[in-house]
Amino acid sequence: MLQARPDEAAGRIDHAVLDVRDVRVRYGGVEAVSGAALKIEAPQVVGLIGPNGAGKSSLLAAIGGQAQSASGSVVLLGEDVTRLPPHRRARLGIIRTFQTAGVFDGLTAFENLLVAGVGEEGSTLRAALGTRAQSRRRTQAASDLARQVLEEFEIWHIADLYGRELSGGQRRLVEIARCLMRSPKLLLLDEPTVGVAPHLVDRIGEHCKRIRESGVAILIVEHSMEVISTICDRVIVMASGQVIDDGPFDVVMQSGSVKEAYLA
Amino acid sequence: MSFYLSTIVVYFGADLMAAWGLNMQFGWAGVPNFAFIVFQAAGAYTYATVTLGPSGGVTAFQHYIFGANLPFPLPFIVSALAGGVVALVLGLITLRPLRRDYQAAVFLLFAVIAVDVVSADVNLFNGSNGLAAVPQPLAGIQNSLGLGGYQWLYAAFVVVICAAVLTLIRALGRSGWQRALRAARDDEPAARALGINAPVLRLQVFVIGGMIAGLSGGLLVGLISAWSPGGWQYSETFAVLTGIILGGISNDWGVLIGTFLVQIAFQELTALFLPQIGYPGLSDALVWVVIGLLWLVVLYFRPRGIWPERRMRVNNAPPKPVERGGL
Repeated sequence: MLQARPDEAAGRIDHAVLDVRDVRVRYGGVEAVSGAALKIEAPQVVGLIGPNGAGKSSLLAAIGGQAQSASGSVVLLGEDVTRLPPHRRARLGIIRTFQTAGVFDGLTAFENLLVAGVGEEGSTLRAALGTRAQSRRRTQAASDLARQVLEEFEIWHIADLYGRELSGGQRRLVEIARCLMRSPKLLLLDEPTVGVAPHLVDRIGEHCKRIRESGVAILIVEHSMEVISTICDRVIVMASGQVIDDGPFDVVMQSGSVKEAYLA
Repeated sequence: MSFYLSTIVVYFGADLMAAWGLNMQFGWAGVPNFAFIVFQAAGAYTYATVTLGPSGGVTAFQHYIFGANLPFPLPFIVSALAGGVVALVLGLITLRPLRRDYQAAVFLLFAVIAVDVVSADVNLFNGSNGLAAVPQPLAGIQNSLGLGGYQWLYAAFVVVICAAVLTLIRALGRSGWQRALRAARDDEPAARALGINAPVLRLQVFVIGGMIAGLSGGLLVGLISAWSPGGWQYSETFAVLTGIILGGISNDWGVLIGTFLVQIAFQELTALFLPQIGYPGLSDALVWVVIGLLWLVVLYFRPRGIWPERRMRVNNAPPKPVERGGL
């Protein structure tokens, strides 16, 4: 389900999934990210940690397109996406979740997945005005996949609940499951375990590992060191808008950069 | 009575069409279009000017632009296009990433300014007197059918158009496009992050809604043969919205019921059967007070309306919703 197509994989094997160079994000006079750089190869789960205000979410926004980078570049699989709007980046494979789960409250959990699953072709006005047979075929394929993903996430029983009727943990799971409907190449997760019950935190961790095994790179912003140590292959530390350390969890922890960042 | 009933059928058809159009914009896409009535007015004025013939001559008592003499059914098509064009221009300006409350304020102001401009500029659509003596479509057949028969034929025509609009809306309502619009309505950044080009989709639904409103305006003028600023005050949009909220946002049949209750049962019948009380105009003003109260009562006791949006069911035994903040 999540495997990259062989031709795509073959054509892009030389490129890193994500190559971020000298990215700067400014909000008015404040520079939230000051020349950050990072590179991610697939399949890897990379943790992005740092104190509040370090620029983690802003960096994620610069990669996803929610914030414009004032300088530098964001390159996905060899393609420069720095100036592309978020929906274009999503179509190229950068899919993300948000700090506050971005579940669509007026859609059922199943529809939340379906809206991602029919893709941009299925969401056009032209498709809406097309023949019923065409639209039924497209919806059927997306419906089958949505059911499969919901079952894998063990949340099929909440398929018919509206987003507004879900608990905090269920919202997180639906949001992550929804990402998989788009066949992402890079998954950006912004604090996916905040406000989630402990047993669901473990499940989210397991899903991350499974997603990585299917060949998808994940960049995860997370405050829980337990989660980071369990699922991440690598950890990037940010402080004051800059990347100050990058390496395996144990090495980074021993280098003192984390302590330095949090005490700065 | 028969004449009155056929008039009511036309009013209801045009109001219902407008309500479905506004429901697409407000219910599906979340656009707080408080200027909706302006699109209907654009269609109505356009219908009038393209059927009245060139300004001057027998219509010298009124001034207007774009005078033409288009044959049936072109005036209706042009009136729909006019509604669409106004929606396109307004949409390009207002549908940018702007907070929804600001958007609502812009729409409301636009509606107020539009009425003022049209009232003040006599050369545009004859100012506050409005346009009168607008030819009815295929007026020649009135001689053979009689006025009553003609009016019932026109009512049937409106019903057919209404059914066609409903067919279009229901086809769109089942589509991935509509689902994407609802997603962008609920959380635009999340929708865009899934590849949905929300601003374009919203502009599309805005223009389609505008075209439906324009068509409804054309159909109204085709019956009443006159249109003036008094008939499209900004408050009219709230009457349409009250019908949508009372009936059930995003439910076509709910909107039908709500529109009937507010626009026909309440507004028309009270105007006809309730005695005038107090000073002249007090009863009419009270009708608006009651519409405002109705809105509040519905939002408090039944926020999703009489006939709420239908939930898509794929799982035969859905569990009960959990409490917020639970597991």
